[in-house]
Amino acid sequence: MDLTPATALPKLLAAAWLLPLASFVVILFVGKRLGPHGKWAGYLAVGAIVSAFLLSCVAMFAVWLPNHELPVAHHGEHHDEGDQHDGAPADDDHQHGTAALLQDAPLTACADHDSPFQLAAFQENEAHADGHAVEEGHAANPPPTYYFGDWYSLGQFGALKLTIGYYIDALTVTMFCMVTLIASCVHIYALGYMHDELHDPYHDHEVIVHGHHLHRPGRFHRFFQYLSLFCFSMLGIVIAGNVAMVFVFWELVGICSYFLIGFYFERHSASTAANKAFIVNRVGDFGMLIGMMALWASLGTFAFGDKQDAKGQTVLTESGAIAEPGIFSQLRTAENGYRLVPPASMIAEETRNDPAIEAEDAAAGKAGHWLLLVAGVGIFCGCVGKSAQFPLHVWLPDAMEGPTPVSALVHSATMVAAGVYLVGRFYPAFCPEALLVIAIIGCITLSLAATIAITATDIKRVLAYSTVSQLGYMMLALGLGGWIAGLFHLITHAFFKSLLFMCSGSVIHAVHTNDMTEMGGLRKKMPITAYTMLIGCLAIIGAGVPLTPIGFSGYFSKDSIIEQAWSHAQTNGGVYWAFLAMAVIGASMTAFYMFRLWFMTFTGAPRDHHKYDHAHESPRVMTGPLVLLAIFAIAVAWPAFRLTGLLEQAQPVGTAAGGSGVLIEDLVVPAEHLSHAPNIKLRAGLAAFSSAFIGVFGAAVVYLWGYLNPREIKQTFKPIYTLLWNKWYFDQLYNFLFIQPALFIGRQIAAFDRGVIDWFLHACAWTVRLFSMVFDVVFDRTLVDGTVNTAANWTWDFGLLLRRFQTGSLRQYVLFIVMGTWFMCLAYFAAAFVLMS
Amino acid sequence: MDAIYWPSVFFLIFGALACGFALAVLLSANIVRMAFYLVLSLAATSGLFFLAGQEFVGAMQLLIYVGGTLVLLIFGVMLTSQERFVNMKTLAGDWVIGMIAGGALLSLLTAAAFSVPEWRGPERAAVENLPIEPNATPIGMGLLGARVDQIGAPADERAGMAGYLFPFEIVSVHLLVVLIGAAYLARAKRRSNPLPTG
Amino acid sequence: MTSSLLANLLTEPPGVAHYMTVGAVMFVCGAMCMATKRNALGVLMGIELVLNGANLNFIAFGSKYLDNGGPQLGLDGSLIALFVIVLAAAEAAVALAIALNFYNNHDSIDVDRADQLQG
Repeated sequence: MDLTPATALPKLLAAAWLLPLASFVVILFVGKRLGPHGKWAGYLAVGAIVSAFLLSCVAMFAVWLPNHELPVAHHGEHHDEGDQHDGAPADDDHQHGTAALLQDAPLTACADHDSPFQLAAFQENEAHADGHAVEEGHAANPPPTYYFGDWYSLGQFGALKLTIGYYIDALTVTMFCMVTLIASCVHIYALGYMHDELHDPYHDHEVIVHGHHLHRPGRFHRFFQYLSLFCFSMLGIVIAGNVAMVFVFWELVGICSYFLIGFYFERHSASTAANKAFIVNRVGDFGMLIGMMALWASLGTFAFGDKQDAKGQTVLTESGAIAEPGIFSQLRTAENGYRLVPPASMIAEETRNDPAIEAEDAAAGKAGHWLLLVAGVGIFCGCVGKSAQFPLHVWLPDAMEGPTPVSALVHSATMVAAGVYLVGRFYPAFCPEALLVIAIIGCITLSLAATIAITATDIKRVLAYSTVSQLGYMMLALGLGGWIAGLFHLITHAFFKSLLFMCSGSVIHAVHTNDMTEMGGLRKKMPITAYTMLIGCLAIIGAGVPLTPIGFSGYFSKDSIIEQAWSHAQTNGGVYWAFLAMAVIGASMTAFYMFRLWFMTFTGAPRDHHKYDHAHESPRVMTGPLVLLAIFAIAVAWPAFRLTGLLEQAQPVGTAAGGSGVLIEDLVVPAEHLSHAPNIKLRAGLAAFSSAFIGVFGAAVVYLWGYLNPREIKQTFKPIYTLLWNKWYFDQLYNFLFIQPALFIGRQIAAFDRGVIDWFLHACAWTVRLFSMVFDVVFDRTLVDGTVNTAANWTWDFGLLLRRFQTGSLRQYVLFIVMGTWFMCLAYFAAAFVLMS
Repeated sequence: MDAIYWPSVFFLIFGALACGFALAVLLSANIVRMAFYLVLSLAATSGLFFLAGQEFVGAMQLLIYVGGTLVLLIFGVMLTSQERFVNMKTLAGDWVIGMIAGGALLSLLTAAAFSVPEWRGPERAAVENLPIEPNATPIGMGLLGARVDQIGAPADERAGMAGYLFPFEIVSVHLLVVLIGAAYLARAKRRSNPLPTG
Repeated sequence: MTSSLLANLLTEPPGVAHYMTVGAVMFVCGAMCMATKRNALGVLMGIELVLNGANLNFIAFGSKYLDNGGPQLGLDGSLIALFVIVLAAAEAAVALAIALNFYNNHDSIDVDRADQLQG
């Protein structure tokens, strides 16, 4: 088989992408007939997703890795990264050439004002003797190796080209492996978890219909049908080669989440939650549409990458320019040293043509940046909706109404990951101001969700808020310039969060309740679940030995986020330290609520003996994926596996070096490699460790050892507790701000409808009726009826006349016959006489 | 003055009898007398048949009509002969209308009969020389499907003349049906309140 | 004309027209019977007269002794006359049965009472 990446990767990943679709289609049409109650539908879906995983693994290990050498890992080797850090495996000549070009470029800000590189170098002086070399090496990372092309062109409308295409780089392949692996685990787990749905009829104890529990047909096959479609949609986002395709699959993911969250749609809470998730996502998608339109209107393309030939080489015109540049190539051209400079098409025409304004703007370098900001924030709006960030985070905890495997999939690897992934994918298009917005949103989200998670007692809601909080971490990292850190955390989080959700599902499966206050001591009953969940908790709090490469997966990713926050705060100073503070405090809260959850569930005395007695360990089909995911949650981030190196291969063009703000002039996004400086690493590592330790210790004091009574704490902090228990009153606020006004407007419009439009229509109807009444009297009754009645009267009269002859008297009939005969004969003779004469 | 042609004399006698008794039927109000006059009129008609050389038909007329139908009629008269029905007066107005209509029809028919010269009657010599041929045999053969009178006719004239076997059969069955039907109808007794029996 | 006709009739053979005249008289008498008699059996007798009048015409047209070169029915006339006689007998039987039934049901044979078909 031809294993050259340019030909093999699109085929392999397309197969992996389309297998779940095939499974979906098959189950859609014949799902109910696959085995008893659709049981084989589950195996079909599992087969499809496992095959997709195997194909992704082939793509990763047989095609990608042998053909693309990994850069040297950083962990433990911070000192010489400046020399060895090559970024993407682009050829050195090219890189140096562009570096030189950067120095010659007249627009370069270095000479004029605070360059991000100079500043970074200045602040890193104490650690780096050769700071300038570091700057040169990272200043202009060229585009990463990627394979871009179209499978199918839907059509071209002027400049608008709609295609189904692919954009495959290291991030795509990594995401494929991660998504398919977790989806495989979730599918297998769901075979066990959804077993009840195989019963026909299924008894839904949470729905009361006419005083009885709802009985309905099992929906086992339908669940797997939706799961398959979900995986297909998510993989579609990951592999998409243009924004339009991303948007299509973005919406497909949204509708799949709607189906899955509303899987028990007979339950009112589930259908409401599904609606909420869908509607809230629409709000974000509106912003995303604006961002897409801004980008397309100014750049004239939806494509991520440049047009490539069959061998994966960029197609160039005769003059050496890129033939069909994608979004990123237009925003970060080689001429500009891969820095983000708005192209001429982004600058308003009058501005371009007016020398005065042009000179002024050029001096400030602001021309086109506002549009860039709008586009960036617009795209981010979509991510806010999908990844449940601060203003739109309200849907995700409610989405816990779906079955737990769905929660595990939606809240780890697929839907919420899509938002973070898209931010990562669009990273070259975000100007520093947009990144600041992302960081602020992420920071607010992480702290907000963490505080709510502390008081929640529903085991799945704790995990849901934990997810929101961790997504906030990722956004924060991305917003602070930590592209690798953010996506690194995305991948590690996917593993341990799916693990945690599936563990919680196992617990719920055993005790049939979500309420942690009814659990306790379950460790003895279900050890595998308990200890795999402990691994998940340790992974999410970032447990590890500080300053050594030993720890759970979260240790590496979370530390890199805190390092980046530290680097950012150190670079910008002042109020920017708040990001770091929130990240560290958030880490502490994460540790607290995660271990609160674990202690409340698995340790201590059982709170509800009835439920405890009935608890049991889940079947192997459920614990198997738990163990597998636990292994990944421990080890996936180990430096030996070079995950960060893999991500580094996909470092978006020109983003490794950070950037400096134009609209906010003193904003600097530090280059990511700077966060690996030993002094930052040391302090960040210690801060992360101590915060996590404090959190775990606090949880143990309250919930494990019982030194402090949680109820007393609740009493003391009652106002705060109430605030947190009510989730900062966000639902109430939105209800007051949006829902009630919307209902009010609706009522007003309804009143307008009834009062004005209906009135008008009724008036029209009355007019017509009046006219017809007049017409009726004048025309119908006289002319039409008169004509018809006259004809009828004639007929009637004629009938009456004829009736006289029907005397019924035999003798008269005889007379009539005789006379009739006589007249006929007379007529005959008369006629004959006339003819003869 | 030629010798009296006796068949013509008999024709006048029988014709006058037939017409006279027919008129008597019409003018009589007594149903029993009407039946008697009808018998005489029909018998006179059979005489006319004999004079026309149709002795078989005349015999049938006597047998069936005078011997059968009239007996049936008189039987009916006797069955229904209550005093009030024997003499049923006809209203004067009906007589007037009837006479006008009848007179008109009669004048028309008579005028029509004499309007064709060929119908006036043959020459005496031509008739006297005609051989006397009994026609019972041709009629019987005709009823059996064989037309002996058409043997000498050209083939194209004979086409379609296949005798009267089929009508004869129809009439036979018809008669059977009529007898059964008549028996059934006459048998039906009056019921004051018809109730389903059994 | 009429007198000469009668005078001729004593020496010359009668023709079809003469038979037709007798038939017409019988026919008209029958028809008048039907039109004027209130007794159902009288009506029946009128029918018999009408049939006989018609029959005379068939006989006349079928007889070779009356033929003066006009259209002839030949044997067909005799046969049709026979059928008429037979059918008249059948008709008489049925009509009598109807009359008897009518008498049974209405206690009367007055045809003026049978006016249920009045329009």
